[in-house]
Amino acid sequence: MQASMAAALAAIRLDDVDGRSIELGWLWRDAPAVIAFLRHYG
Amino acid sequence: MRDHYDEFVAAGARVAAIGLGDRAYAQAFREQTGMQFPLLIDAQRVAYRAAQLRMASPLHLLYRANFRARQRARAAGHSQHRLGQHPLQLGGSFVFGPGDVDRFIHVSETFGDNATPATLLAAVRGGGDAVRA
Repeated sequence: MQASMAAALAAIRLDDVDGRSIELGWLWRDAPAVIAFLRHYG
Repeated sequence: MRDHYDEFVAAGARVAAIGLGDRAYAQAFREQTGMQFPLLIDAQRVAYRAAQLRMASPLHLLYRANFRARQRARAAGHSQHRLGQHPLQLGGSFVFGPGDVDRFIHVSETFGDNATPATLLAAVRGGGDAVRA
């Protein structure tokens, strides 16, 4: 069975612009989350 | 998407954007746009690769759809900022959760191929089976 895309991304940690490290899965752990991957900043 | 942030929050969703480039570049973008939600930096493209997002061909720049997308963006008051290290990287948009559940997946096929805010909002409100656009 194929894992969900959410599961594939959940453990990845990225910094926000203020230097805080955020685990992506936290964003949708207990609520829906809209995640946009930008092509460029604009 | 940033113009519809309040609607996503009212529907119970969190919103985040992921971009390439360095922190100074991302901070400048946040300040210029007044973005209210987290902007995460993926300089190594770890999440982009995990999300199976595509790279455009330089030929895509010549597509009529790309020209129209730029016209739409300008008409909506958006301007293109620096392209950064990966100008051919394409984007995508997703609605996940609660939990590791895919509600909506849109992987851009070319420049300007973006899910509409209305589609994303419907996915937030609708839940149910995952939709791949």
